Amino acid sequence: MPEVEAVKLASEEILQQGYSYINRSYQRVDALDKVTGKIKFFSDMKIEGMLFARVFRSSVAHANIVTLDTTEAERLQGVRAVLTYKDVPGLNAYGAIIPDAPVLGYGKVRFYGEPLALVAADDQETAEKALGLIKAVYEPLPAVHSMDESLKPEAPKLHDRGNIARHALILKGDVDRAFKDAHLTLERTYRTQSQKHMFLEPEAGIAYTDELGNLNILAGGQNPYRDKMQVARSLNISPEKVRVINYPAGGAFGGKDDVTVQIHLALLATKTKRPVKLVWNREESGIGGFHRHPSLITLKTAVNDDGRLLANDSHIYLDTGAYQSFGPTVLDVTIEVINGPYLIPNIRIDANLVYTNNGISSAFRGFGGPQGNFAIESMMDEMAEEMKMDPIDFRLKNLAKSGDIGPFGNSMRNMEGIHEALSRLRNSPLWQLGKELPPKPWIRRGTGVAIAIKGVGFGTIPDYPTAAVELLPQGKIKVLFSNPDYGQGVNTGNAQIVAEALDLPMNEIEVVNADTQYSPDTGSSSASRGTFTSGNALLVACNKMLDRLRMEAALYLESTRDGIEYASGRFLIKGNESKSVSIYDLAKGLRAKGETLKFEGTFEVPRYPEPVKGTLEVPHVVYMYGAMVSSIELNTLTGYLDVKNVDLMADIGNVINPLLATTQCEGGIVQGLGFATSEELVYNQDEKPMNTNYTTYIVPSIADIPKMYVEFIKTYEQYGPYGAKGMAEIPIVPVGASIANALKQASGVRYYQLPLTPGRVLSKLHDQGQG
Amino acid sequence: MKVSHYTVHSPRTISEALNILKDGAARPIAGGTDVMVQIKDDLVKETELLNLSYIMDLNYIRDDGDFIRVGALTTYSDLIRSRLVNEYSPVLVEAARTVGAVQIQNRGTLAGNVGNASPAGDGLPPLFATGAKVKLQSEASEREVDIGDYFLGVRKTVRQPNELITEVSVRKMKPGDYYFFKKIGLRSANAISLVSVAAVLVPAEVLTFKEARIAMGAVAPTVIRAKSAEAAILNCQLTDEKMKEVGRLASEEAHPITDIRATAEYRKQAIAGAVYEGLYEIVNGFRSPVNGSSV
Ligand SMILES: Cc1cc2nc3c(=O)[nH]c(=O)nc-3n(C[C@H](O)[C@H](O)[C@H](O)COP(=O)(O)OP(=O)(O)OC[C@H]3O[C@@H](n4cnc5c(N)ncnc54)[C@H](O)[C@@H]3O)c2cc1C
Repeated sequence: MPEVEAVKLASEEILQQGYSYINRSYQRVDALDKVTGKIKFFSDMKIEGMLFARVFRSSVAHANIVTLDTTEAERLQGVRAVLTYKDVPGLNAYGAIIPDAPVLGYGKVRFYGEPLALVAADDQETAEKALGLIKAVYEPLPAVHSMDESLKPEAPKLHDRGNIARHALILKGDVDRAFKDAHLTLERTYRTQSQKHMFLEPEAGIAYTDELGNLNILAGGQNPYRDKMQVARSLNISPEKVRVINYPAGGAFGGKDDVTVQIHLALLATKTKRPVKLVWNREESGIGGFHRHPSLITLKTAVNDDGRLLANDSHIYLDTGAYQSFGPTVLDVTIEVINGPYLIPNIRIDANLVYTNNGISSAFRGFGGPQGNFAIESMMDEMAEEMKMDPIDFRLKNLAKSGDIGPFGNSMRNMEGIHEALSRLRNSPLWQLGKELPPKPWIRRGTGVAIAIKGVGFGTIPDYPTAAVELLPQGKIKVLFSNPDYGQGVNTGNAQIVAEALDLPMNEIEVVNADTQYSPDTGSSSASRGTFTSGNALLVACNKMLDRLRMEAALYLESTRDGIEYASGRFLIKGNESKSVSIYDLAKGLRAKGETLKFEGTFEVPRYPEPVKGTLEVPHVVYMYGAMVSSIELNTLTGYLDVKNVDLMADIGNVINPLLATTQCEGGIVQGLGFATSEELVYNQDEKPMNTNYTTYIVPSIADIPKMYVEFIKTYEQYGPYGAKGMAEIPIVPVGASIANALKQASGVRYYQLPLTPGRVLSKLHDQGQG
Repeated sequence: MKVSHYTVHSPRTISEALNILKDGAARPIAGGTDVMVQIKDDLVKETELLNLSYIMDLNYIRDDGDFIRVGALTTYSDLIRSRLVNEYSPVLVEAARTVGAVQIQNRGTLAGNVGNASPAGDGLPPLFATGAKVKLQSEASEREVDIGDYFLGVRKTVRQPNELITEVSVRKMKPGDYYFFKKIGLRSANAISLVSVAAVLVPAEVLTFKEARIAMGAVAPTVIRAKSAEAAILNCQLTDEKMKEVGRLASEEAHPITDIRATAEYRKQAIAGAVYEGLYEIVNGFRSPVNGSSV
C-alpha cells in the first residue's frame, strides 16, 4: 500500500513539528449559513412548475395483494401521475446490500406502510386526496410480531428462504470445555428495542430532468454514488444520466444511508417530465422510515477464580423487519463487539438476522454496536460483582493488550488508549459520587461504567475512497469528496486537513458539497468513516498537487525539485528566501498553457484480505474505543431515572477539531440516553407503529440532558489522516450499559432490557421488593 | 387541515367576541397550543375560529379580596412572573412551571387549559386544590361555575357553545398553608402528565392539618379530588406510616387507563408515590408554607 505509507510519513513528520490547522477548534464552515437560514433544505425548496408527490402505503402488515385499483385517483383533476410496480422499468427492488425490498410492492405486503403506489399532483392537497381514492384489497396473512414468534417452526414464512435472513457461526477455542473448568459461569438474556432516528427533517427531496436529459436528484442522503446506482438500476438507465446531490440534510444518523425518497422521485419526475417534490410527513417517517434493529442476545460467560475471562458463548438475534437493508453488516458489527475489547480464549458466536413484519431495520449510529455493547457490558458488570471485584479493575484485567490476537485472529492494535481511558475513569469524581447519601430517602444514587469498541469503516470490504483538490488561480483551493456533511461536520474537518497539508489559511479552502456531478466517489458518510476516508484521499491528492507544483516551481525558480522548499503557499529556493513564487501564480501560468490543477487521490483503506466466515466485513484494522461512567438518581417511588452526569474518555486517534469532536460526542451521548431510557417504537396488534411523533415517541429534551464531560486520550492512528480515526459512533455505544449498570448500583436490581422507562423500572423494583 | 381552511375572527373587545360566538359556530383560540395541534389532526370540526389574541381586556391578573382574578388571555409565563400569584397561589406557579417548556408557557393560557378539558391538564389540579371558579359569559348572560362542577368528562364541560371563558378566579391560599404539586411525565419538559397531583394543607397546629385538598390529574376522565386521602390527613400526626397510607388511599381513588405512555397499574403506583413525596417534603422541612405578608 504505497499511498498509505506516504500518508503515514507526511503525518508523522508534521506531528513532530506541531500543527497549524489540526487539533484546532474551528466553527463549522456552514454554521453561519445554517443559523441565518441562508441554506435551503430540500423540504423548503420550490422549483417552477413543481409537482407534489405522496406515497400510497399498505394499511396491513402481512397480506397478499388481491387488487390495487388506481383508476379513480388517476381521474382526479390535478393528478399528473399514479404509478405502481408496473411502472418500474428496471429492477423493482432496492437495498444497500441485497436488493430485496420492492420499490413499489406487488404480490405480497410485508410491513405496515409498505409503499404500493406513487401519486404526483399539482398541489399537496390533491396528492393527498388521490391517496384516498386508491383502493387496495388484501388477503390477510398472519403477521409476525417479534423475533420470538418468527423463530418458531410454525411461524408464517415472510420470504421463500424462511425467516432467518442470515446466519453466522464463529468459533475460537472450546467454549464447552471452558465452562466445565470455570470458576463461575453466568447465563443472561438481554433485549434492546427499535429506536427511530427522529431527524428534524424527515425523508425528503426533489427531482427533475435538466436540459441535457439528466435526472437530478436532490435528497438528504448519506451516499450519493450508491443512491445514483440504485436509482439507475430501478429506472433501467445509465448511471451517467443520474446526478445526486445530498447536501444539505437535516440529520441522517444512518436513517438516510439506504434509499428513501430517491427512486420514487426519479420514477415520478421521469414519468411526468416535471420537477417533483416528495416530503414524508412525521407519521410516514415513523411508519415507512428505517429504525435500529431490536436485539435479543443471550450470553453465557465464564471466568476463572482469579477473575479472568475464560469463555463467552453468544447467541445473537437481530430483528431486521421485513427486508434486509443494512441488516447483514449491522449483524457483523454486533458480532464484532460482542466480546468487547477483551481477551477471551474461548468464543462461540451464533448470530442470526431474523425477518419479522416490523417495518425495516437499517443503519443507525453505532450500527449494531449499542445492542451488543449493552449485553457484554452488562455481563462484565455482573461478573465483576459476582467476583466481588471493582468493575474497572475487572475490565482492566481482561482488556486485550496491543499485539494480542483478537477473537477473529486479528491483531489488537493501539490498546494503550483504552487502558489509559479506563484507568482515568477510576479517578473521575463521578466514580466517587455514588457513595454520597442523597437527602430524600426515595432517591438512590448510582454510578455505572461501560467501555466500548467500534470499527471505523467497512472492515474487510474493499474500500477505495477517491477525493480531489483543485487549485484556482484566483486564490482558492476547491476540495471535492462525496461523503455528505449532514450536520456532523466532515466538511470542516476536511477543510482543516487540506489547510494543514497545503499549509494554507482556512479561508482559502473551499469545500464543495457532495454532488456526483463534481465530487469523486468517496463512498458514504457512515461507519464513522468520513474523515478517515476522505481525509486520507485528500492527503494523497494534496501531495500530488504539491508534487506537480514543485516541478513547475523548480523550473520557474531556475532550480531543481530538491533545491526548493514549500511553505504557506510559496515555493522558495532553499537558503535564499528572496527568490520565491506563489502557487497561485504558478497556477496562472499553467492555466495559460491550458493545464488545470485538479488532482484526484485514491486511498486504500487498510484491511484484512478476507472476512471471517459467515460475515461480510469482520474484522476491522482500525477501531475506536471509549470508556464511560454515568451517574444517575433513581426515584424509587416513580421509577423515574434522572441521569445526572456522563463522562466519556475516548480514543478516536488524533483529534482534528476538538470542538466538533466534543459536540459529536455530546450528541451521541444524548442519542444514547434516549436509547437507554425512553425511546422505543411501539406497534399495535396490527403491526402499525403507534408512537411516531415527538409527543408520543420520547426523545430526550434539553431539560433531560445530563452534565457531560468529554476527554480525548492522546493517541495517534498511523493509518489515519494526521493520526485521526473516526468518532461519530463511539459515544453512543456504551451509554445503555453504563446507565443500566448505574441503575443496578442505585437500586440493587439489574435490568436486562432497554429502554429503562419509569414503568419498566418501577415494575421490576416492586417485583424485587425494592419499590 | 390547515388554518387557512377556517374563517378567522379577530375581535378587539369582549362584546364583539361574544357577538361572534352567539350562534356557537366558532371555536375560541387563545394561545393555540392545543387548537393548532388539533387542527393538524383534523379534530376541529367548527369552520370558524374566534381568535382571542387581540382582546387586551382579557389579559390581566387582579387582586380581589379572597380571589386572584386571572383573565382568559393570561399565560403561564404571566402567572410565573406575577408577584401576586407567587404570594397567594404558589401551588399554581409550581404547576405552571411544569407545563410544556418555556415556549409553551409563553403562549399557553390557563383558560385554554380549562377550555381544553384534558384530565392531564397541569393547570387544573391546583385549581381544584385551591377552589377556583370559572367565569362564563355569553351575549345574554354571565355565570360563575365552581371548578369542581365545570368538567363533565374528557373534553366535555358545562360550557355552552355560545359562552366564552372570560376569567378564572383562583382562591387565595392563606399564610401558613402548605402545598405541593407533583407531575410525573416521560421526560423533564414537553411531557404529558402520566399522573399529576396538587395539594393544599391548612394547618391546625405545627404540622397537623385541619383541612386538606388533594386533586389528581390523569387518573380519571376529569381531575378528581382524593377525598379519603384528604380525610386521612386531618388532625393527626403525619408519621411515615401515615403518609404511606395517604398515598395508598389516593391511589385507590384513582381509576387511570392504560395507554401508550403508561399502564394503569403504573399510574396507580406513581400517584401513591407522588402523594407520599409531597407529604414527606412538607413534614421534613423541604417545603415552606405560604407567606402572604410581604405583598
Ligand atoms: C409542545 C406542547 C407541550 C404541552 N405541554 C403541556 C403540559 O405540560 N401540560 C399541560 O397541561 N398542557 C400542555 N400542553 C397543552 C396546552 O399548552 C395547554 O393545554 C394550554 O393551557 C392551552 O392553552 P392555549 O391558550 O394554548 O389554548 P388553545 O389551544 O387556544 O385552546 C385550548 C382549548 O380551549 C378552548 N379555549 C381557549 N380559550 C378559551 C376561552 N377563553 N373560552 C372558551 N374556550 C376557550 C379552545 O377552543 C380549545 O378547545 C402542551 C402543548 C404543546 C403543543
